[in-house]
Amino acid sequence: MSSPEVSDAQLIARALVGDDRHAFAELVRRHQSSVRACLRKLTAGNHALADDLSQETFVLAWRNLKSFRQEARFSTWLYRIATNCWLADARKRKEELLGDRDETLGDAEADDTIGGGSAHGDHAGSSALKLDLERAMAVLTEGERAAIVQCYHNDLTHEEAAYVLDCPVGTVKTHVLRGKQKLKLALAAWAPTET
Amino acid sequence: MNHMIPTPGTEPNAATSPRDWLDDLLDSDARDERSAYIGDEGFTARVMQALPVPLSLPAWRKPAIVALWAVALTGISLALPSAALDVLREGYRLIGAQPVSLSGMVGALLLAGTLSWTAAAYALRTS
Repeated sequence: MSSPEVSDAQLIARALVGDDRHAFAELVRRHQSSVRACLRKLTAGNHALADDLSQETFVLAWRNLKSFRQEARFSTWLYRIATNCWLADARKRKEELLGDRDETLGDAEADDTIGGGSAHGDHAGSSALKLDLERAMAVLTEGERAAIVQCYHNDLTHEEAAYVLDCPVGTVKTHVLRGKQKLKLALAAWAPTET
Repeated sequence: MNHMIPTPGTEPNAATSPRDWLDDLLDSDARDERSAYIGDEGFTARVMQALPVPLSLPAWRKPAIVALWAVALTGISLALPSAALDVLREGYRLIGAQPVSLSGMVGALLLAGTLSWTAAAYALRTS
């Protein structure tokens, strides 16, 4: 089996040339955690859906491995496929998602803002803040959420995020800025008070 | 984080874009999630099961095709013996009876080599 020093490129070559499924399995093992985590973030914590989409991502990666030209890292290419899978699924579920979003917005509007904790630093407050962040992320548009997940969660540069989202760098920056504005509004109760 | 500072004037808040509490919150959230490795728990096995089955041709396919061609050619030569004889005679006249010169062979080898190297370079080209 593949030793740890075997690079992704070597495994890809083996999978391509010899139709080596063991090499591809090693690639899946290496990248499953990051792809699943990315999709969990994009699906606002829906683990079952995220795992289904992750599986679809790797199956598509296998089918399209020939088209991977190493112009980006393999992980970035996987993020691109994963984001496309999520967007396609989101389009299919648009009606359902809009309903959920209205509900979330309704809840948020009732409280003015999501959350309302005060103390940063205490553990319960920190967990509540993370929950509120997840709820606030669900309020963003698909483009904004995807841009923020790629730039912050996956720690990609704007250029890499543009490759993943298949859009110009300027659009990524706009999505990030707008998304952050919305998050600040939604999480205003958590903002540190000016002294 | 490796975020680029947005170009001033392109966004309402782009004139000043210092890091703020939300950047810190998003970074800390991302750090926490990145450090939490998601265990495989059979995920890789499920993916491998979901991969399309490789197309494997049955072992009898190739001999069957050769046999069918042989039957077809035998049938044609039995049905049209003179035509088949003419085709064989012309084929020999065009290929077999031609004198083979050394320069011709060298030229053919050079041509074949050039073609295969060009094809290999095209196939192995990278970005």
